[in-house]
Amino acid sequence: MKMKKKSVSEWVKSGDPWVWLNAGAVAISVIMVVGLLLLIAVRGLGHFWPADVVETHYALPGDSAYNLVAERVESVEVPAAQLREAGIDIPDQHQLMQRTLMKTGNRDVYGSDFRWVIDEYLTDTKRPEMLFTAERREWGNLYGYLKAVKEDGNIISETTDLTPTESALATWNTFEKSIERAAVIFDEIHEIEKKDIGKINYALERIRLEQRRLELEGKLTPAASADLATERGQYDEEYKGLQQSLIDLYAQINRDTFIVQVMDGTEHEMPVAKIVHAFRPNSMNIAQKMSFYFTKLWEFLSDEPREANTEGGVFPAIFGTVMMVLLMTVIVTPFGVIAAVYLREYASQGWVTRIIRIAVNNLAGVPSIVYGVFGLGFFIYFLGSGIDQAFFPEALPSPTFGTGGLMWASITLALLTVPVVIVATEEGLSRIPRNVREGSLALGATKFETLWRVVLPMASPAIMTGVILAVARAAGEVAPLMLVGVVKLAPSLPLDGNYPYIHLDQKFMHLGFHIYDVGFQSPNVEAARPLVYATALLLVIVIALLNLSAVTIRNHLREKYKSLEM
Amino acid sequence: MSDVKTHSIDISAMQRSQQALRIENETVCLSVNDLHLYYGEKEALKGVNMIIPEKKVTAFIGPSGCGKSTLLRCFNRMNDLVDGCRITGEINLRDENIYAKGTDVAELRRRVGMVFQKPNPFPKSIYENVAYGLRIQGINKKRLLDETVEWALRSAALWDEVKDRLHESALGMSGGQQQRLVIARTVAVKPEVLLLDEPASALDPISTLKIEELIHELKNEFTIAIVTHNMQQAARVSDYTAFMYMGDLIEFGDTNTLFTNPSKQQTEDYITGRYG
Repeated sequence: MKMKKKSVSEWVKSGDPWVWLNAGAVAISVIMVVGLLLLIAVRGLGHFWPADVVETHYALPGDSAYNLVAERVESVEVPAAQLREAGIDIPDQHQLMQRTLMKTGNRDVYGSDFRWVIDEYLTDTKRPEMLFTAERREWGNLYGYLKAVKEDGNIISETTDLTPTESALATWNTFEKSIERAAVIFDEIHEIEKKDIGKINYALERIRLEQRRLELEGKLTPAASADLATERGQYDEEYKGLQQSLIDLYAQINRDTFIVQVMDGTEHEMPVAKIVHAFRPNSMNIAQKMSFYFTKLWEFLSDEPREANTEGGVFPAIFGTVMMVLLMTVIVTPFGVIAAVYLREYASQGWVTRIIRIAVNNLAGVPSIVYGVFGLGFFIYFLGSGIDQAFFPEALPSPTFGTGGLMWASITLALLTVPVVIVATEEGLSRIPRNVREGSLALGATKFETLWRVVLPMASPAIMTGVILAVARAAGEVAPLMLVGVVKLAPSLPLDGNYPYIHLDQKFMHLGFHIYDVGFQSPNVEAARPLVYATALLLVIVIALLNLSAVTIRNHLREKYKSLEM
Repeated sequence: MSDVKTHSIDISAMQRSQQALRIENETVCLSVNDLHLYYGEKEALKGVNMIIPEKKVTAFIGPSGCGKSTLLRCFNRMNDLVDGCRITGEINLRDENIYAKGTDVAELRRRVGMVFQKPNPFPKSIYENVAYGLRIQGINKKRLLDETVEWALRSAALWDEVKDRLHESALGMSGGQQQRLVIARTVAVKPEVLLLDEPASALDPISTLKIEELIHELKNEFTIAIVTHNMQQAARVSDYTAFMYMGDLIEFGDTNTLFTNPSKQQTEDYITGRYG
């Protein structure tokens, strides 16, 4: 026993326990981070996989059986007692039952997309090859058998077979072609609506503002008025032309319809134009599924959201996030650096600077929502409405800068992150060797020249460290943004082809807010949940990429000014 | 290695080669009148009076903390950067008091260049290091810069070593090369006075030798003041030597006399190694 005690105390003395403790702490951190990323990656990325669709019979004891066509979503074990309480008559020998969430889609037909079933009572489960999944622009997914394709109300191809016979495949091919055609027309319509009509609307709004401005300044002469009217007339004319081509396109896109047989055996006729993708997952091999998967993933990254953000892509949110972070960086870097230079280099180091430094450090700890409130109260209501009155009186009473927007969001976040940049820059400045500064001064450089030509370049890696921390913090921030300009759905990107190209007053979408919106404000929670994970993963990746690029720049600078390590 | 051997002090050779210098016959470059310097409460220089003669090498020796570096840093007002540093008395460069109100300190430092103990090249290319002082003055003409950079590097005996890699980083050079680069950088702005603050103390013997040879060359064009811990070095390179102790200038005279026949007991004790 004595022997053992001694060996324990020796072990403690040797320092090994500390090594183990530290290694353990590191291991736990790594496991938690990796686990988090894995969880959101698995849950989020799985969503885009074209899952098999099963057709099965489901009958609860005592109930009549019905046909079920659905995708499996997830399974859980539940105690049988809980199910009995819910009024399901379950035989006594069962303790635990497997319960599965099935996505039945066809919300327009049944009213809901999902239902829970007990695996025990599923019988005769098949994966018929002709069963298809269709993603629609509205009402979520559609599952069923294709019966016919119609053109202008006339059947051009039909089948009665539910197995892959020649006639069934021929109808399917017709259907696919029809979808392709509709997609092309849809893109055209989208182009006209977003781009051309958007441009005209923008121009008309500009003319309206111009007129209002002249009116306010009392310069609205009949001649000017007539000029504006002719200009407006031109745009109206153009608009009418576009309107006509839109009507034509809509007529074309609505030419085709198809008839689908859903799981309860009823047949429904639907327009082909509503379909985004249609595919038969049970007949796809792994390569086809992979290619489909990556198409979907790309759509998620590059498309606009549909259906209250529960379907489609998140491109506007990615764009808004990156844009806001970049703008924030552009604002925060000079401010932080100038403040730090003053504090460290010019201000006399007394109690005032010490208090300022403490205050700056504390600012970094203020909850972000407080910055949001400040941004709303000071920037938007005070500065914004001031700007509106001074520069945009013609737009009043509708606010231009007097409401949340990209600029105010960026400035609010810049304010939130400026302490980080100040602290990092000060740290960097204090590490520049005194003899290098003296070397520059001794050559007849003034203090400013020394700072500008020698000290700041050498401190640039430290400044970049501050910027990296600022970016990391700003990109993940959601709470203050909800008050200063982020919206659930922005009609257009803050960067487009209309003068002045970058619209700082526009509201924008943000990945962080998108997660909150899809996860908690969505009308269709089950359908949206995978998107929450996918968007979360994407946000992490976007932040990581932003950081990575900043780190690359920093390392490059560090290499260039490595004398610091001398 | 035989070069290194000749570093040992050789007073007799010095006597043979040098005529006795007389300070009264020299042109005055810098004159120091009753200079007191305080770091806060502490008096670091206690009333120094001396002159730095034109186009000669003046060495400052003395034990650590005696104020020799502090005095040197007064000549280009480098002490202004130290918090709580206060100066009374005056230093005249030619006939202007450099501590007079309204002195352009940047201009003064251009006229009185300084090389520090540790090589402090900027993290720029060799070329840009040498051109730095010129660019500060707003000289950006490529030809003029090229010429001056070459001249300065030749003056610092560095041209042959670096002419093929002028645009590489100065941080890749050896310590001795860096120190000569710093000298070239200082020389490039054509100052009147060159202050050397223990320029060889961080270098190996061969680099030290090169620096000393350089000082010999440079004194034809510049007035040089050098602080050194190394008495042999002072004896080797300087025409005049000032011995300082505890903030006082104890003895100042031509190097020959000061080392062979010091008039003060303290000086003799120091140069014979009895304290310091």
